[in-house]
Parts: sequence; C-alpha cells; structure tokens
Amino acid sequence: MNRVTTVWPLSLRLAHWLNAALVIGALGLGAFMVLAVHSAATRFELTQTHKSIGVGVLVLTVLRLCLRCVMRVHRPEPASRSVTIAAKAVHIGLYSLLLLLPLSGWLMVTSTPVRVPTVVFGLFELPYPLAPDIARFRVAHAAHIVLAVTLAALVVLHMVAALVHAWVWGDRTLTRMWLRADRVL
Amino acid sequence: MDRSMIARWLGVCCLSAILCCIDAHAATPAQGWRIDEAQTSIAFTIDAVGFPTTRGHFAHYRGRLLIDFDRPAKSYTTFTVDAASVDVGSPSFNDFVKSAALLNVERFPTMSFASTQVDKVDAHTARVTGNLTLLGVTKPVTLTVDVASDPAANPAAKSRAVAFVAKGRIQRSDFGMTFGIPLIDDALEITVKTRALSDE
Repeated sequence: MNRVTTVWPLSLRLAHWLNAALVIGALGLGAFMVLAVHSAATRFELTQTHKSIGVGVLVLTVLRLCLRCVMRVHRPEPASRSVTIAAKAVHIGLYSLLLLLPLSGWLMVTSTPVRVPTVVFGLFELPYPLAPDIARFRVAHAAHIVLAVTLAALVVLHMVAALVHAWVWGDRTLTRMWLRADRVL
Repeated sequence: MDRSMIARWLGVCCLSAILCCIDAHAATPAQGWRIDEAQTSIAFTIDAVGFPTTRGHFAHYRGRLLIDFDRPAKSYTTFTVDAASVDVGSPSFNDFVKSAALLNVERFPTMSFASTQVDKVDAHTARVTGNLTLLGVTKPVTLTVDVASDPAANPAAKSRAVAFVAKGRIQRSDFGMTFGIPLIDDALEITVKTRALSDE
C-alpha cells in the first residue's frame, strides 16, 4: 500500500481539527459561563456565543459524516481486535454526541419560556420549531448536561488514545490526521 | 442558556420621590424642585433561575417634583422614562431587553409614573402611591421613600437639597409582561435614587 494514501483526505482533516476546536470551545465556554460567570450581561453574551458554536458543531458534524460517505475512508492502523472494537465504539460515541449535544441544546432554546433568538455568528437566525414547554425544557437541559459531561470524557479518552497510538505503539493513527500529513507520511 | 434573563424592564420609573416629610424645614407652600441628574438613578433588579441577578437602569428620563414639607399630601411627582435608554450591561443584552418580548420599546417608547398620594410615615419616610404605566398598562404601585436632607446643602445659601431613595416591588405580569415566567421572576425590584434641589 502506498503510504501516502493512508492519510485522511485534506477536507476531513480540516473538518476534524476545526470540529475539535469548536467542541472544546463550546464545552469549555459552557462550563465556564455556568460555573464562573456571575454577571448577567456577560452570561447573556457568552450564551449567545455558545449557541453559535454549538450550531457550528452540528453543521460541521453532518458535513463530516456526508464526506465520509462519499470519500474513500481508509481502514484503521493494524491493531488487536479489542482495540479496534474499542476505537470503533468510541468513534460512534463521539459522532453520536456531536449530533445529540447540539440537538439537545437546540431543544433547550426552543423549549424554554425564556426564548432568546439564536443568531448564529450574527449571520442567520436559528429556527425554533417547537412551542415553549417548561417540562420539555427541563428534560432537554438535564440531557444537555449529561451529554456534555459524557462528550468531555470521550474527548479525553480519544486524545489519550491518539497519544498512546503515537507514543506507545508508534503507529500512524495520529500522524495521518495531521494537517501536513501528506509531507510527513 | 439563556434564560435568562432577563430582566427587564422595567422600569420603572418611578418615582421618586417625593416626598415629603422631612420636618423641620422652612414652611413653604408646595414648590418646584429641580432634580439633580448627577445624583439620580432609576434602577431595577430581577432574579431568574439558573442565571445571575440582572441589574439595570435607565439613562434618560424626565421628572418633576413638587414638595410641600408642611403638607406632604400636597407633594407630587411625575417621572417619564425613555424605555430605549435601558442599560443592563452589554449591547446585545440591551437589545434583547428592548425587544418585543420585554420592554417592547418600539411600541411603548416611554414608561411613566405619576403620584396620586403621598403619606408621611415618619420624619424620614414617606409612602408614595401612584400610577405606573408600563407597556401601555396603568396600575397603581406604592413606593417607600427614605428622605434625607443632604448634608452637602448649605443652609446659609438660599438653596436646599433633599435626597430620596424610593423602593418598590411590582409584578410585571400585572402589566402584561409575562416573558420567561416562571424561570424569570414575575416580581422585580425598583429603586429610584434622586436628589432634589431648590433655589428658593
């Protein structure tokens, strides 16, 4: 096999790292604004930004899944069956959460009685398809928190696994996701 | 999430004060007083579930005071507040508070308060009842006003200054502002601080 062809397509590499930045930004901002911000105005502003980033995550994740459907995706680096299964499970979990977490946030902002328009990065207004319902809002809020904590845990697991692949097992799992992977591999 | 929020509104206006009381001073019939804008604030606070307390104020208003120390009941005040001058701490938050969901400033550019009754409670306290108009709805509200002669006033000069702190609590739903209830409190606190100057 040609080593160069083992790298991920550039579009998927770009989408991966951009999504990583958005997800870490949204998780960090979400935790910070809820736990550490005591100014109503600052909380309001950060919440608007958090919502925009969340929409970005959702759009980018859908785009990534579409790209994966239409582009040739290489098989993982050789590994034991258990590692391969674990990696598959984590990736399914990550993609699922990258969809469900923003969707639960969307459900929150459309269900809350405190309906504040979401103007995504100042570009367009996110539609709110459902009428406010405080009971549904509370369920969505609880789900959003649980999903966020779960995603944070999976992101850490994902990062640790990537480092183990690179530093312990010495394979190309991480390297082929580098933006400049074409030159490295 | 948002939620927040919000707060709003309200403003209110209020009042100020007026009042009365303050015994002791020279007996003059109801007289006009100037409002010292540098010492005046029309503010409100409102709480919400899972959101910091929102504190805001209105920057633009017009007010009149008529104070009769001998006959407090003859005292009178009226305030009109520019709803669009609300400031809750950031531009986008201001815009949201000014939107149709809350202050609806395009349709209701002003809110006002006009006293209808002033009762002296004690030498330093008055109770001012008046009509508050918010979102086009007028309802009676009562404010408790602390009155203090301003120590900065110079009795030798022919001017007097009286400081007022008026506080009240309204249910915004009374005025049709139901947005966010119950996550955002229905009740909000209004605090109007002002200083009245007389050049008599």
